[in-house]
Amino acid sequence: MTTTNTVATKEGFAEVKAAKLSTLGFFMALPPVLVVILFVGLPIFVAFIFSIGYTGGPNRVISIIGQDIYKKDSWWGTADAYLAVVKDPRFLPDFALTMVVTFVSTLVVLTMAMGMGLYQRIKGGKVASVLSMLSLVPLFVPVVIAAYAIAQFYNGVGFMRTFMAQFGIEFPVITATRNAIIIGTIWTSLPFAILMITSGLQSVPNALIETAQDAGASFMRIVRTILIPLAFVPIVIAGTFTAIGIMGSFTVPLFLGPNQPTMLGVEISNFFTAYNRPQQSIVMAFIIFAAASGIAVLYIWANIRSAKQSGRI
Amino acid sequence: MAKRENNLNLQTGSLVTRFFIGVFVAFMAVFILGPLIWLALQAFSTTWTFPNLKPDGWTLVWWKRVFETPSMVEAIRNSFITAPIVVLVSAVICLPAAYAAARYNYLGRRVFLIGMFAANSFPKLGLFASIATLFYTLNLMGTMVGVIIIQLLGTIIYMTWIPAAAFAAVPKNLEEAARDAGASKFRVFRGITLRLAAPGILVAMVMSFISAFDEAQGTYLVGSPEIFTMPTEMYSLVLTYPVQIAAVFSILLAVPSVILIGLARKHIIGGQLAEGFQIK
Amino acid sequence: MSNATHGLELIGLTKILGGRVIIDNLNLTVEKGEMVSLLGPSGCGKTTTLRMIAGFLIPEKGTVNVAGKDVTNLGPEKRPSAMVFQNYALWPHMTVFKNVAYPLKIRKMGKAEIEKRVHEVLEVVNLMHHKDSRPGQISGGEQQRVALARALVQEPDILLLDEPLSNLDAKLRVKVREDIRDLQRRLGITTVIVTHDQDEALSISDRIAVMNEGRIEQFSTPQDLYDQPATEYVANFIGSLNRIEGGYADGQVIPGNEVVGIRPEDVSFSKSQVAGSYPATVELVVPRGHFHEVYLKRADASLRAFVSIDVPKAGDIGFAKVSKALVYKDGKLVRTA
Repeated sequence: MTTTNTVATKEGFAEVKAAKLSTLGFFMALPPVLVVILFVGLPIFVAFIFSIGYTGGPNRVISIIGQDIYKKDSWWGTADAYLAVVKDPRFLPDFALTMVVTFVSTLVVLTMAMGMGLYQRIKGGKVASVLSMLSLVPLFVPVVIAAYAIAQFYNGVGFMRTFMAQFGIEFPVITATRNAIIIGTIWTSLPFAILMITSGLQSVPNALIETAQDAGASFMRIVRTILIPLAFVPIVIAGTFTAIGIMGSFTVPLFLGPNQPTMLGVEISNFFTAYNRPQQSIVMAFIIFAAASGIAVLYIWANIRSAKQSGRI
Repeated sequence: MAKRENNLNLQTGSLVTRFFIGVFVAFMAVFILGPLIWLALQAFSTTWTFPNLKPDGWTLVWWKRVFETPSMVEAIRNSFITAPIVVLVSAVICLPAAYAAARYNYLGRRVFLIGMFAANSFPKLGLFASIATLFYTLNLMGTMVGVIIIQLLGTIIYMTWIPAAAFAAVPKNLEEAARDAGASKFRVFRGITLRLAAPGILVAMVMSFISAFDEAQGTYLVGSPEIFTMPTEMYSLVLTYPVQIAAVFSILLAVPSVILIGLARKHIIGGQLAEGFQIK
Repeated sequence: MSNATHGLELIGLTKILGGRVIIDNLNLTVEKGEMVSLLGPSGCGKTTTLRMIAGFLIPEKGTVNVAGKDVTNLGPEKRPSAMVFQNYALWPHMTVFKNVAYPLKIRKMGKAEIEKRVHEVLEVVNLMHHKDSRPGQISGGEQQRVALARALVQEPDILLLDEPLSNLDAKLRVKVREDIRDLQRRLGITTVIVTHDQDEALSISDRIAVMNEGRIEQFSTPQDLYDQPATEYVANFIGSLNRIEGGYADGQVIPGNEVVGIRPEDVSFSKSQVAGSYPATVELVVPRGHFHEVYLKRADASLRAFVSIDVPKAGDIGFAKVSKALVYKDGKLVRTA
């Protein structure tokens, strides 16, 4: 099923790219582009010039409301807001925490997703489908509930401590630590990664695996030389989406993390509303964006690589 | 023939492996479901003394309290107004674009697809802060329209990519056969293309609904303190009400998602979702 | 005791899948260097049998011996067999060279040795000029040869081919099947080939096992299968057949409770009467390329005949003679006349 689907889709798209340019197609594609330009592109652009000190025009209102606004002092603007953020004693620990959480959680999520995807691909059967159902549950649970439920589960009077207390074991309070954020982000990121990787592995035809087996390859070798290369693009997509999502996460660190240091997502909100320093809040957003863009490049590279491989470029 | 021989004969069935798989399944069950069940139990408990495994007593009083609190009823109402509107608007805006991406080549096609992704990689909260900056100027802060726009943004990626993949997967010769049989262009679209792409569109709508319904950060930033939806109400609930109230509210908030799982589970697992996220 | 001179021995093989008996107590012995076809319609169990030889399926009962060694409980990676899949199963992310080198790399062979052996086998299948191409960039026939090279480079005791020609167009199919036959003879490698195409099986094999519902109906040389089909099923499956219920005596069909099978090429038509011929009318003539299919009406039966010279016209009246008939009772051949 999945296999034929993939093939059909690829052929469908390949055909389209060879077709001549269509005006109708252009106008049909326009509305979402306009929405994105108007409500994502434009705000980000306006926010960017705000971050380098342009305080007039659309930024006039916010400049009046906010505190510690740096105005441009040269022809291109000013980097003072960026310097102020970097020099802020809260920033470096926040940044480090954000990176550590992103790295660890992404790694764990990918490992778990690979394990479950492989199990499902190789073995199939009841256990595998129970596992996949389980792992999809977080997809349908709002982040707010998830974060709150996890907080309740691992806090001082939570299940883990209650359960362990039955055996006389003192289980640590995890809530309000870095580890709690990691648990929470893994919980919320798992389904997407599993969906992507499982479907990537499923679309590798049986015959390609069996030939390798026939040639004498061991299980691990088949995984390394056949399955991972052939499911490379979905794996990279899973990785980039997971990492980007975690890097900008807000609710999970808000409910589960320590007050100080906290992840940059929470700090953006703090600076915007609680400290009323909108400019510095925006600056942090751009710092995360820069890091996320680095990861996004990986994603685009993976897509191009796959196109080259199948001879489409 | 191939169907029946789907399972690969790789030697992984030893007792040790089975034991580890069993442990892993148990771990996943506790890890994933544990927090949800633990929270759900709170919604029916009077009080709960540590370290008892059972609450001190069972009650439905918290449910009554939720439905008697005007701000919470208001939040529930708001959520059920905004989310369907968002899905509808999103479908109207995005489905033609999805069809175009699958069937036409047009100026900037690739830029469009990658741009949709790039928009997703800007940190959500930074984007909402940026939008708030703009909304102050446009007088959209604290309005329903502002909230709908914020929620709409999260659905666009689902509503374009998943249906685009679904449309592209409809074999062209099926459409041509119908044209050949004398059906009009519109009729072919309605009877063949749309019908065959329906699972993908369904998944997109489900994902969009859940995305809009669950959206908390942006709605909070733009909507509060005038407009609260169920998720944003949670932020204040968590701080000011007993855990049992938050638990009741969580269950209510999870109901639509759970219902939608039943509707679209087959297609989501069937790869419609994953298929949509590969740039072609 | 298994005899070491056999290339392959299947003894009492039984396979149950999804509660259904797919292969039922199957026995087959293939000599060393022999080329054997498993022939039958889809669903007859021929692919299942092949997959049990390769080790992708483990039989519920029975033994698989390859080159005198019991491999029944070995996984495919441990068996001295190499399989070529129906759709070739080339790894799209590797070049032709890397595809062929893969089995050798697993055997931890040195780099120089690998290169030498891969080049050798690519020469054999005439693909050296494509060694750095990717599977997506070469034609179906070439992909087929890469798959074959990848199997041959393993120097297997037995080569297994699953419908190797079904994805090629008609012209190429004839050419590739000659190539495969030629190669197999030269290398003297024991080969089992699965096919549903009788032409393919008849032209390429030393012996053919005709399969039906998980059993072997007949295992014999192509000529034998054609001349002496042991069962009605085989007679129907191989070549064309006039099938008439009744008995047979003196060159004509008589009332009876047997089944008479007459090959259209064993029916002849002439304007004048000869010994053993009976009056017949030509009802229809269908040109079939290098011969004509002639529908004849005789007092005892309606017969189809294949005629290539002196083709009659519809409506012609003359005499038809049956030179050979196969007589079956309860599906089994009882006599030829």
